[in-house]
Amino acid sequence: MKFFDCNASFGKPMIKPIRYAETARDLLEEMDFYGIDEAVVFHSRQRDDSPVVGNKILMNEIEGIERLHGTLAILPPQTGELGSLENLVETMKAKNICAFRAFPAEHKYLMTKTALGSLYELMIERNIPLFISVNESCGGISGWYLIEKILSDAPDLTLIVTEHGSWGHDRFFRPLIEKYENLYLDISRYELDGGIRDFCDKYGAERLLFGTGFPKWNPGGPILMLAQADITRKEREMIASGNLQRILGRVKL
Amino acid sequence: MICSDLIKEFMEKGRSDSCPVIDMHQHMGPFQGIYFPNPSPEDMIRTMNRCGVKMGVFCSHAALIDPEANIEMAQVVKRYPDRFRAYWCINPNYPEGIPKEINQFSKMEGFVGFKFLSDYHKYPITSPRYKPALEYAEDHELLVLMHTWGRSPYDSPALVEKLAEKYRHVTFLMGHSGYGEWERSIQVARDYPNVYLELTAAYAVNGVIEWMVKEAGSEKILFGTDLPWFDPHYGIGCVLFSRITDEDRHNILHRNAGRLLQPFL
Ligand SMILES: [Zn+2]
Repeated sequence: MKFFDCNASFGKPMIKPIRYAETARDLLEEMDFYGIDEAVVFHSRQRDDSPVVGNKILMNEIEGIERLHGTLAILPPQTGELGSLENLVETMKAKNICAFRAFPAEHKYLMTKTALGSLYELMIERNIPLFISVNESCGGISGWYLIEKILSDAPDLTLIVTEHGSWGHDRFFRPLIEKYENLYLDISRYELDGGIRDFCDKYGAERLLFGTGFPKWNPGGPILMLAQADITRKEREMIASGNLQRILGRVKL
Repeated sequence: MICSDLIKEFMEKGRSDSCPVIDMHQHMGPFQGIYFPNPSPEDMIRTMNRCGVKMGVFCSHAALIDPEANIEMAQVVKRYPDRFRAYWCINPNYPEGIPKEINQFSKMEGFVGFKFLSDYHKYPITSPRYKPALEYAEDHELLVLMHTWGRSPYDSPALVEKLAEKYRHVTFLMGHSGYGEWERSIQVARDYPNVYLELTAAYAVNGVIEWMVKEAGSEKILFGTDLPWFDPHYGIGCVLFSRITDEDRHNILHRNAGRLLQPFL
């Protein structure tokens, strides 16, 4: 089975994890150890530093590496730090960037239509997915409340929510899954016993994506959980790589 | 990919005949803040069969709340003696009943010892309210599974050390391995023969299993899942894909637990 990781990062984070991959090459070695074929990635400096600095580091690191697909950290366009939206799209095309990622807590901005409306329009028009961790927060709202806020502002946005925790989130996300058809969940911490099977029985396998959360989380968990999930082989393959390939195949740059 | 017979077997079949897993940290039944697809004893046995888990030691969610519910666990063990053993939960919020509970416990089969959930019950594991249970466990060489969390005022590794020093004949299982305060937890497990690191939830932290094996030894690590919370394949995958030997994996997944459970089978 081909594994396409939707949630991995590399670089030297400000808070040192027990284990990490400093360079893109180190990350490839880690992926080989686990048998992971491709990954959508960010560099820790994109989160821990200014996105202006971090985005450049990411693009240089992954240049020429076909197994790694980059995501650019966003900022509200009003400060002009990331240049014009047209230039941004050109850069993405040239540098193997397939998606955006939001770190509103670290980069201090509001995820409102006022701040991000034009970026949301660009993403919707060009089917560019936005990645965000459910552990993010901004302006006093966090978690699934923030996810619902983003989707109610931009219902057609392709939103991929990463590392929703293991301590029981179905009551939070199922209403959103039912309402917003472009919402996808990374399974890196979806450890609930019988959770994947129960979810697929009700909603199909299209909305779940394999992810590891590397370097913070142990990739062995989601790998064996998915390889042995009590669903059909076809469904397992969709979650392992097919769904993410379909999502990225729709991106128009 | 990493080369290991055990990994190959689990990836292909979901279980291993040579490595029948023992889960030292389970619960049972519905609970407050979570939707469970598989909460009943029969659901859990189905999951255990799928994942090659031969035995689980549990404390029902009901017993974590109400001491009266402890007795019901004996019925489950009686129904499935080859699959389950249980921990009797001591809730320090109801100290007046504890001597009677210990008397009941002493006459019942199917239990391996006690469960303390101090972070939730809001009494430190060193509270005198736990003393009758600890003294009974000391006299009868029982197991005590404690929920432990890094820097908790109720059940941090430093508090575990105090009990381990005092009750040398009790085997202490540090549930969640004192999550987050890894260095101190590993030190306590290394220094005290009667303290074990239990992996529920901790296994997900990348690199922590290697650290534990290196510093405390794989002989001091036990596997657990909080089932019906977590898919055992998730935790097993974390152990399998750690940079340790197959011998270490056998120790963690069943050998150590088999040794500890011997007197209770
Ligand atoms: Zn527990």
